[in-house]
Amino acid sequence: MQNASVGGSLGNDIHQVASPLVLARHRTFPVVDELAGLFTDRGIRQGSTIEVTGVASLSLASALTISVSRSGSWVGAVGLPMLGSSAASDLGIKFSRWAFIDHPGDQVGAVIQALMAGVDLILIGPDIKLRPDHGRKIVALMRERGASIITVGRAALCNLRPDLCLRVSQAAWSGIGWGHGHLLSRKIEIEVVGRGADSNLRRELVWLPDKEGRLNTVDQSNEPANLLQSACRMQKVSPDIGEQVLQAS
Amino acid sequence: MVLTNTRTLVLIIPHWRVIAAGAAHDHLAAVVNKDRVVDVTPDGAEFGITPGTPRREAQKLCADLKIIDDDEERNVRKFNSVVASLESVTPRIEITTGGWCSFPTRGPSRYFGGDQALARVVAERTLKALSATLKTTEVPSVFQPRIGVADSRFAAVLAATSERFSRVQVVVPEGSAAFLAPFPVDVLASKYSPLPEAEELVDVFRRLGLKTLEDIGSLPSEELLARFGSPGLLAQQLAQGIDGRASLLRSISDVVSEESEINPPADHVETAVFVAKALADRIHQHLAIEGSVCVRILIEVESEHGDVSSRLWRHEHRFTPAGITDRVRWQLEGWYRSENPPTGPLSLVRLTVDETVPDSGQQLGFWGEKIVNDELAMRSFVRIQGLLGPDSVTVVQRGGGRRLVDIEQRVPLVATRLDPDQVMTLPESTTAPWPGRLPAPLPLAVLPQAQQLEVTDGNGRRVGVNGRGQVEADPVRIQSDSLGSHLIIGWGGPWLLDEKWWDPAMKSRQARFQFLLADGTSHLCVIENGEWWLEASYE
Repeated sequence: MQNASVGGSLGNDIHQVASPLVLARHRTFPVVDELAGLFTDRGIRQGSTIEVTGVASLSLASALTISVSRSGSWVGAVGLPMLGSSAASDLGIKFSRWAFIDHPGDQVGAVIQALMAGVDLILIGPDIKLRPDHGRKIVALMRERGASIITVGRAALCNLRPDLCLRVSQAAWSGIGWGHGHLLSRKIEIEVVGRGADSNLRRELVWLPDKEGRLNTVDQSNEPANLLQSACRMQKVSPDIGEQVLQAS
Repeated sequence: MVLTNTRTLVLIIPHWRVIAAGAAHDHLAAVVNKDRVVDVTPDGAEFGITPGTPRREAQKLCADLKIIDDDEERNVRKFNSVVASLESVTPRIEITTGGWCSFPTRGPSRYFGGDQALARVVAERTLKALSATLKTTEVPSVFQPRIGVADSRFAAVLAATSERFSRVQVVVPEGSAAFLAPFPVDVLASKYSPLPEAEELVDVFRRLGLKTLEDIGSLPSEELLARFGSPGLLAQQLAQGIDGRASLLRSISDVVSEESEINPPADHVETAVFVAKALADRIHQHLAIEGSVCVRILIEVESEHGDVSSRLWRHEHRFTPAGITDRVRWQLEGWYRSENPPTGPLSLVRLTVDETVPDSGQQLGFWGEKIVNDELAMRSFVRIQGLLGPDSVTVVQRGGGRRLVDIEQRVPLVATRLDPDQVMTLPESTTAPWPGRLPAPLPLAVLPQAQQLEVTDGNGRRVGVNGRGQVEADPVRIQSDSLGSHLIIGWGGPWLLDEKWWDPAMKSRQARFQFLLADGTSHLCVIENGEWWLEASYE
């Protein structure tokens, strides 16, 4: 706070005191076409937090990074020691600019702050917890630097408020039976809810993965409303199991 | 820093690539690598074609020129007979590439009565092996071996390769600096120089008016280091007849060696190579953490019947895991085609680091900073490494093995000299040469450590797999600490990891299953020796 007696110099100092706040609102990171429909701006807004929950959350969260990983930007993955590069590469992710910090321990706040300064997209794993003060600091840094965060699991665990929530509401595998076949492809339904202007609920169906391990659009023309009927063909169900439950929690 | 020199004999066979390609000295032929000439016969050279000439230009200069593609495996393989003929002179022959090998002279020189005598013996035996390779009694003079002996390896190489000198050139002990003084600075950028990519450095030297190695040698070292960094200092050391990049003297307990049995023993070279790749990656990581790089490695491969192939390989700059793996392949290909091939399948691979030097590239700038955001990213990673330790930031690198977790290797960032724009060709997930392939699509969440699991049938008893590879009862429920307890609503398998599961001598039975659970999750599980493990999940 400037003292009134040196008010004369305040005008000159104002540019140093108030650093320009760059609004990242209109700049986005690219996402693959198959997922672009989930976003109003057809991309991930810079400086935003996205939460991904539900059964295929790791796959979906990873799939959100495909385009960024192919565009020369950096991705940092915190607390994801189990992310398999073979499956992820089949999805389309390019790992040349991916760095993993698998076990940040209790320094996770400092680690994410450090990442903010250098990478564009940060993936945070389901077991990572942040303190409220770290969460606030990180949000401020995100706005300033334009980096975005994708949490696998609830963002609230990291004391972050999500700008967009993607929830896998239904998931159905094809190809596996009872004692024969194998997991061939999975169709998922994604529910999207945003904040403010985005607060309408949207839904989208995708293959994640399809038979080749890739993310793919679903041919909507002959899709019944209920996913259960279309996707999984269970040839034989053990008589001991009374219900066929395929709906994700 | 202790700078130790080892008096070395360097043997170079000129035009080796042409010889390996099967062209005679009086043919019109050139060996080409990536559209540039790397070697040309003397007759071809008369048309103005030299190493470095682009392929098209070479063809324009000489329409009748025969173009042969370079093949490093062929270059090395054909060199085997020469190396074999020298093994009676010394057990410590180091191969750098086809047509270029070296060894320390101390023992052999004493044995044969001095450097000159030693060099003559080497020349004789090499000539004999060469004439057998060329199938001629008289080896043409352009192909005849050239030998240099000197206190420093760099001086020995120059003694061998410089046209000014006779075919056998011994530089007197302590005389390397004087010997090197008149050479032009360009030799620091030649293909025989241990300085990687030195053209720019040499260019700057020339523009500053430094024309000979003596000029470089006499500059104040601190200024050279300040202006040019460690490459500049290394250039000076080379110019002074010191090998520079002093090799780290390792004690016996420090020896870095990795070995692996090949189980089941392999009939195919590629299987052994695959195993070797995982060993090479581990060695690389081990050395990187201590800040050194391997410049000489001993590769040993054994067969089930006890035959052994053992060879020392040298790299002028540094061995990468890929470089080591290539040499394992070349060594094995050579072994199979030699006069004493292995008499049984390959059962063991061992890699032993023989010489290391400190890695001077462990700083921020080692990526080349092609893009500004690479530099920013590197800064944050360095900061994180400062908080959590040097292995805390890792990147993806493929390993070898049957278990999914063996392929999904993470390597510390410091252990790599990644060029992010270099295409990282990850092998197709379904075409790895090991048995027990997984059906696609692959699970995304691979547990770094498999978790114990219980899989039970309708009566609550553990499900097992019998000797015929079939489940003894339908699996109905799965239970683990991390997953909880769930009903199985779909399952597939068993997919046997081991192709010899029916062999009564093999005590372990390993099979994979996929389970689709009532909560919608799906998992990849393994049963081994009657115990169940969770390996990965399809998250």
